[in-house]
Amino acid sequence: MSANRWLSTGNYFTSYKEEQRIFATHLDRSVLLCFLAVLFAWPLLFEVSNKQMFVIDNIMIAMIAVVGLNLVTGFAGLISIGHAAFVGIGAYTIASFARLLGDTHMVLTHGWPALIVLAGFMGALFGAIAGLPAFRLKHLYLAIATLSFQMIFQWTINFMDFFDQGQTISVGRVFWVTGRVGRSDHYLFWYYVILVIIVLVGFGVRNLLRTKYGRCLVAVRDNDRAADAMGMHPGLTKVYAFALAGFLAGVAGALHAYLYRGVGIESFTLHHSINYLAMAIVGGLGTLSGSFWGPLAIKVLDMQVERLSEWTGGHLAVATNLATALKPLSFGLIIVLFLMFEPRGIANWWRIVRSYVKLWPFRY
Amino acid sequence: MSYFFQLVISGVVVGSIYALSALGFVLIYKSSRVLNIAHGQIIAAGAFITYGLTVWANLPIYLSFVLSMILTFFLAMSVERIFLRRLIGEPIISVIMVTIGLMSILDGLIYLTPFGTENFSFPPFLPVTPIAFFGVSISWTQLVGVIVTFTLIAGFSWFFKKSTVGISMRAVSDDQLASMSIGISVPRVFGLAWAMAGLSAAAAGGIIGNITGLNFDTLHAFGIVVFPVVILGGLDSILGAVVAGIIMGLIQQFASGYLDGNWGLNGTGEVLPYIILLIILLFKPHGLFGIHEIERV
Repeated sequence: MSANRWLSTGNYFTSYKEEQRIFATHLDRSVLLCFLAVLFAWPLLFEVSNKQMFVIDNIMIAMIAVVGLNLVTGFAGLISIGHAAFVGIGAYTIASFARLLGDTHMVLTHGWPALIVLAGFMGALFGAIAGLPAFRLKHLYLAIATLSFQMIFQWTINFMDFFDQGQTISVGRVFWVTGRVGRSDHYLFWYYVILVIIVLVGFGVRNLLRTKYGRCLVAVRDNDRAADAMGMHPGLTKVYAFALAGFLAGVAGALHAYLYRGVGIESFTLHHSINYLAMAIVGGLGTLSGSFWGPLAIKVLDMQVERLSEWTGGHLAVATNLATALKPLSFGLIIVLFLMFEPRGIANWWRIVRSYVKLWPFRY
Repeated sequence: MSYFFQLVISGVVVGSIYALSALGFVLIYKSSRVLNIAHGQIIAAGAFITYGLTVWANLPIYLSFVLSMILTFFLAMSVERIFLRRLIGEPIISVIMVTIGLMSILDGLIYLTPFGTENFSFPPFLPVTPIAFFGVSISWTQLVGVIVTFTLIAGFSWFFKKSTVGISMRAVSDDQLASMSIGISVPRVFGLAWAMAGLSAAAAGGIIGNITGLNFDTLHAFGIVVFPVVILGGLDSILGAVVAGIIMGLIQQFASGYLDGNWGLNGTGEVLPYIILLIILLFKPHGLFGIHEIERV
């Protein structure tokens, strides 16, 4: 790490090893550690209602899923219009245990950490299967392949008796070392679980991206023939990208199942796939921090639109439900506007702010 | 046996609508290499404009059908002008995303109207009693729908084969640089392709609306189901879209006619196209009539 941030005029790397570091300076690392400490501590210091916690949990689950989507779409350059299906695979892994063993069985309530990992592997397996056409096809066709995977998934759930035709399958409350996690602690408990998983995922992906396996994703995105010439197997890399994305989606799905204490098909439709894509775009494709900004931005926008339409609904006599109209409208506009004017997403703003703060009081 | 022929007839009816829907999709893809995911919403918009003109403006249905085709022509053209023109040359991934965003915007706009949530049906203007022969029956709306569809498809084929504008559109899809050098305005051709797609979508919407009634969910589902059709036909072939549309319609009808209810299966007609899509993508990605230009990676 550079000697003293306040004296040096910049980060001058003298070796590749230095350049590949996660934290360029001690300050960077301390800031992140402080931030994580705040994330862990704040629910204990402030009074948070269950409703607010639920929203936060939701955003964080979406972050995990979007990190996965960003790996496949942002880093490997393969459009996936079926990400909600992979999230659904994770959730339905939990649901199938609930159907087979009963929703309050020991395996489900005590073995949930193992089940979450298992759900991730199921997601990875199906991700790899859906990515199989990648051996022959390029992105355009792959987008259609993932779309059809989404449709097949929806149909399978909708018409299978085992999954109750897509109606909600309930999942029991889990146990922690202190005993059964009750109603009042439910959302707080899952906040911590999800937070730990996000931290693990964040570090995992950040580290992955500086290894051979992460960089080959970017290489295949930028030029698959050149990557082939460098000794990577583009087809395998793409399938592997899908499997990685599927893993994270599966984990997100399992968390979703436990958080909602139930699994229903209405949370894993094509509409949700598009939602995840929008989050990845708005956050910034091909950036890790974007995967955290995107879900936050979209969910906050969603809530604001809902509030606005409630407000106008109270003041104007309108027959139609404004929220159903304004939500897709604002959502579509935001995707299109971001693509037209800020294709690098919020992550780019974050980068600008950061470099401004870093260089202050100098301009450059 | 008459059950079989009944399925054939309804398969051809559904299939010809698929063909017409897929036609617009293929037009856009062929000229500008854009996958238009919002196609179903344009179909729905066309259908709703037709309904609005017929019922609210009290125009004769034939006139409103033509008027809605013209209106959707300009609607799609302006969509291209506003959203897609500035993305020429951008990576294909952003262009696809823009059409996804467009889908959401159109969804939102349609939900602002009563069409988003309520069901409507066109006033009957054809004889209600179906035509029956040899134990097989076909309703007048279906018959007229199929005839109109095939007339339009024939018209489009003639347009691309013979007219100057059509030939310039084909030229652009073959080689953009070469067509620019002989004075064809490529952006204008893109706009025109979108406009023609809008026109065919409005026609498809009007016909679907007459046969099944106006329901937003049914109508925009056509935008998704065109994917299996165009992949089977080979993304950039108009003939392929027509043949594959009919094949897909037949497959759907046979699946729901013979498979549903047996072996605990249900709704197979909905899913079979996508399974076929995946199989085609794995083994013959250029489809039946597509150009063999997919590179191995």
